[in-house]
Amino acid sequence: MSSATALLEVRDVAKRFGGLRAVDGASLDVARGSITALIGPNGAGKTTLFNLVAGHYRPERGTVRFDGRSIGGRPPHAVAGAGLVRTFQHARALTRLTVLENMLLAAPAQPGERFWRLFVTPGAVRRRERTIEARASELLRLVRLEPLAHDYAGSLSGGQRKLLEFARGLMREPEMIMLDEPMAGVNPTLGLELLELMRSLRASRGLTFLMIEHDLEVVMGVSDEVHVMNQGRVIASGPPETIRRDPQVIDAYLGTHGGAPPEPVEGPV
Amino acid sequence: MSALTSLDFWAFVGVIAGIYTIFALGLQVQFGFTGLMNFGHVAFMAISAYTMAILVVKVGLPLGLAALAAVVAGILFGLVVGLPSLRLRADYFAITTIAFAEIVRHVALNWDALTGGSQGTIALAGPLQAASYNTAWVDFQTRVGGWLSPILGEDPNKDLVMLFIVWAAALVLLVLVQYVIKSPWGRVLKAVREDEDAAAALGKNVFSYKLQSLALGAGLGAVAGLFYAFQFSFFSPNDFEPLTTFFAWTIVILGGTARNWAVPVGAVIFGIIFAGTRFFEFAPFTLFDSPERAYLRLVIIGLILIALMAFRPQGLLGKREDLVFE
Repeated sequence: MSSATALLEVRDVAKRFGGLRAVDGASLDVARGSITALIGPNGAGKTTLFNLVAGHYRPERGTVRFDGRSIGGRPPHAVAGAGLVRTFQHARALTRLTVLENMLLAAPAQPGERFWRLFVTPGAVRRRERTIEARASELLRLVRLEPLAHDYAGSLSGGQRKLLEFARGLMREPEMIMLDEPMAGVNPTLGLELLELMRSLRASRGLTFLMIEHDLEVVMGVSDEVHVMNQGRVIASGPPETIRRDPQVIDAYLGTHGGAPPEPVEGPV
Repeated sequence: MSALTSLDFWAFVGVIAGIYTIFALGLQVQFGFTGLMNFGHVAFMAISAYTMAILVVKVGLPLGLAALAAVVAGILFGLVVGLPSLRLRADYFAITTIAFAEIVRHVALNWDALTGGSQGTIALAGPLQAASYNTAWVDFQTRVGGWLSPILGEDPNKDLVMLFIVWAAALVLLVLVQYVIKSPWGRVLKAVREDEDAAAALGKNVFSYKLQSLALGAGLGAVAGLFYAFQFSFFSPNDFEPLTTFFAWTIVILGGTARNWAVPVGAVIFGIIFAGTRFFEFAPFTLFDSPERAYLRLVIIGLILIALMAFRPQGLLGKREDLVFE
């Protein structure tokens, strides 16, 4: 499973909540420049695994390496700083900021986020602001939110918030982006455009994607590799056509409903 | 009724409003823009006022230097409060801040040798000699009065001069806060207020920004503490009871949360009620005797807050949308 081209390497990570082993020794690789899917029944531990990789939880054991560096147990802002950005299952729009401010916030290297720079180099702050405003408008156009740029993010619908979060993640200029159910609540036409956008970003910028998605048609259509989780472990990994035929996968996920408990509520709120 | 028409009275109200503008502006930065539930804001005022007075009376520092050191002390105390407590959840943080503020007050009350204890700063130089930290300030005020004499006339009233000084400072600080809040730095504060996890996931060091916000608010509280000390020639630990913190909360809520210019509006209304109700010498207020009327202002402040929460929960200048979006 390990390869020289893996951008993200997760090895044997585990996290318990009381008696529940939410993630119980999960391992997976995400190849650089790939679109990789993470599927599995509700309660399989997918979102918890995201939280472990992104630094919202500390793994009890195991290692997480990104771009050759260990990020396991590092705080979320450090993980984002390393070039790995995530979105949330329940979109986290910053509601009393405008759509545009949501975008600008995510931009890297704005010197004006340091207090003293506001007074020492105000010119550099203004110049950077103009650059990222242009970039933000461009990305908002891609997800059809540009007309709403100056509205409060809190006025967006659920699907629009998902799109905003996606665009906001891109604004950070990451090497890899982890999407937690990016299509949920997004209308099908726009959903297809989103997939197109992912493909073109991978082609143009070598961006890497890891996404949790329940729509298997989408998953099988777009992914280079699929990881299947069940009961806290990755039970199968491979290209879509192999996964589709894997008896273990069919048994756990595709065939029956399984007896899995409902998905735990995500993250510390 | 006579008091309400006199210039002196309104100058005094204006001074109080100016001092509380600066004080509440600190809380607006912390709570309004960053979401920090600071219930111990008065501590920054106390630390600064005492630092200044002690440095002048006991160490003999010149007033300007002592004042600068006092603001630095207020900011440092903000860091001391924030380092252990800002990682706590909002409600636990709130409780911690009350505790810190009460610790400050009780130390001031009981460490007689340093602070003059319950007698206040008049006892700073030891028994039987009245200490004064503000002679240099009175000189400065007289000088400013001289500059202002073309406007205010020869030998203007002390409160009137103070009114100019305090509001000049308040205006400068309001513009400063406006600038930093509208900046990318301020944008991060607001993001932290909205959703810490989302801000962190976008690469923001949430703890660091909370600490910076707390420190900036502490600095503003400290400046207010200086003016408080200058306005009243003596002060004692009683001046720094938790009630003072809640006055700042009243101003922020009255004016409107997360609105910079709402702070002076809230503070002026607060100042009128705070200083004004003592002089309501007409019916129906004459039903109460004068000391009772002094307490009446707290009742009135309470009633106004209740009415505001019922009919205009966003505050006078707040935006309704701020309450709607979740």
